[in-house]
Amino acid sequence: MPTLLNMTAPLRDDFDIPYHDLGPQDRPPRLAIVAGVHGNELNGGFVLSRLADFLAQLQTRGKSDQTLRERVLIIPAVNVLGLNTRNRFWPFDKININRMFPGQTNGETTQRIAAAVLNVTRQAYYRVDVHTSNQDTEEMPQVRLYGPNDDERATACLFGLPAVIERCTNSMLTNTLGHVWRQYGGENFIIQCGLAGALQAHHCETLFRGLVAFLNRTGIVTGLTLAEDEDDLHYFGLKQSFAIISEQAGIFVSRLNVGRWVQAGEWIGDIYDGFSGRIRAQITAPAPGLLSSLRRQPLLCEGDLIARLLTARESGDSVDQILHGQGQ
Amino acid sequence: MEKRLETIIALELPYRETLKIQRRVYRGGSGPRVAVTSGIHGDELEGLYVCHRLTVWLEELGRTRPDALLGQVELYPGLNPLGLDTLERNVPVYQNDLNRYFPGHPGGLLPQRIAAAVMDHLQGAALVLDVHASNIYLREIPQVRVDRRFSDALLPMAKALNMDLIWLRSPAQVLDTSLAYNLNQRGEPCLLVEMGAGMGLTPAFTEQLLTGILAVWRQLGVLAPELELPAPIQQAIIADDNIHYLNAETSGLFVPAVANGSLMAAGQPVGHIVSPFEAATLAEVCAPANGLLFTLREYPLVYEGSLLGRIVATPTTK
Repeated sequence: MPTLLNMTAPLRDDFDIPYHDLGPQDRPPRLAIVAGVHGNELNGGFVLSRLADFLAQLQTRGKSDQTLRERVLIIPAVNVLGLNTRNRFWPFDKININRMFPGQTNGETTQRIAAAVLNVTRQAYYRVDVHTSNQDTEEMPQVRLYGPNDDERATACLFGLPAVIERCTNSMLTNTLGHVWRQYGGENFIIQCGLAGALQAHHCETLFRGLVAFLNRTGIVTGLTLAEDEDDLHYFGLKQSFAIISEQAGIFVSRLNVGRWVQAGEWIGDIYDGFSGRIRAQITAPAPGLLSSLRRQPLLCEGDLIARLLTARESGDSVDQILHGQGQ
Repeated sequence: MEKRLETIIALELPYRETLKIQRRVYRGGSGPRVAVTSGIHGDELEGLYVCHRLTVWLEELGRTRPDALLGQVELYPGLNPLGLDTLERNVPVYQNDLNRYFPGHPGGLLPQRIAAAVMDHLQGAALVLDVHASNIYLREIPQVRVDRRFSDALLPMAKALNMDLIWLRSPAQVLDTSLAYNLNQRGEPCLLVEMGAGMGLTPAFTEQLLTGILAVWRQLGVLAPELELPAPIQQAIIADDNIHYLNAETSGLFVPAVANGSLMAAGQPVGHIVSPFEAATLAEVCAPANGLLFTLREYPLVYEGSLLGRIVATPTTK
């Protein structure tokens, strides 16, 4: 099994960051997919491990009608120690690995990890970094594009995930893997899917189907039959996103699921006073839209994100632009 | 001299409490306004003590020479009070560094609202000193870090600050989401002070900085020109592109052989890395050049790559 890097540890065994290198080894990688840059994001890593198994079986089964034609690199978990200790960040010095790119081969520990990830993945033409939001907010499976080119806009739709969301780049993202990949050309995508700290089987299934669809539609895998009619894709450009920010603190409760369309004025949830038990505020949709993000952490501070609506018309606001650094 | 405690922003927490960011203000005449900020990181305490020592000095001035305060002094000892109160570097709940949220947004998340309120209240300051205390892993000698893009305005004040070292930082070394960068970018000069280590106090460093702060405030016209002050004595070494980083070759326990602030000869041992399982030394760490050791590992356990120290080579004084 190839590995990104081997590293000693103060007391434990040496550790490494293994990855899958599948398909024709005499070609440069066509696709690199990364997950688990944050140790508490589980959906992406689980799906990537299942995808690696699927592709490995495709290789060994040797069926003539279903073929892995291109080389694919899959890294199910970058932050291995974080995953094993349920830490979002690199557990030793609490550093967010996704703020350390491009990294440095001889630098600090997390810079070395970042440099190793970049060194392997930059060879690929298509690059995908899969995230699972954070432990506060559940995200509907979606592709996010930051300052994309036309090729990326078109290719993002090949995943067939429920939404493609376009955003400007912002200063919070400068040292992320997705941002630094852009220096190496190719086509780069961020996928957000679910809620950190747990697995959501239904989101994992959607993501798995999306990745397989992408492999098939880009010709990396041939011979698969996709249920094309299942795609319910919507593209949301700049300003087609509305962040609902709480102006009151309390306990937030909602029974809605992400991925459903809501009407203007429709109930989204209630904020309760945690002492008196009374409802402090009712949260309703400010515009009709697709409920792409919803708060699952009930404890709510003033200024917290409650939900995000993707809107058919340009009704977004400046707040949502800066919030898009969250969860990455 | 007028003295008041102000709340610059108050934000509701989930269960009946309110998070307040407060500042202590001393107002004399209508001269320039200056500020000291600290406690952006909840594990850095040196700046809190600096603020305390400044209140002691200002209140003594209020008793003896109130007319000598020509401008206004604003002290923000704890920009991350939740982190300070819970011994957490980042903003609790958000798990993120407050110094990655500037310039903030008044309608954004709680840390973004704090950042926006701080930026708003520092508008028009003649000088902001943002005092940091490294982290729990590294110890720093008293130093001021200057963004090279703004060095014309900042360097004269940095030289008067009585610090041991001035580190001129390239744009790549400066985070554009930090308080210091955003103030400098907006035209309010901001010097970033680093000294000591996280979760501790070094009173001698505070006194050294206090001397420098008062000298700079007098230069700026915040204090009366004839006011007698202790004279700064440190002539800072300038660090530029002459810095050597000492990263751990292997993981283990780092045992220093010298104190931080030592003048090192090339090849001289800085320390060594050992294993609790082995008698043999895993790695010797030696100075790569003659110079001043201005950063030294404080937390002994290290991973491969952990920063053990920094040396500014061939010291030159300016």
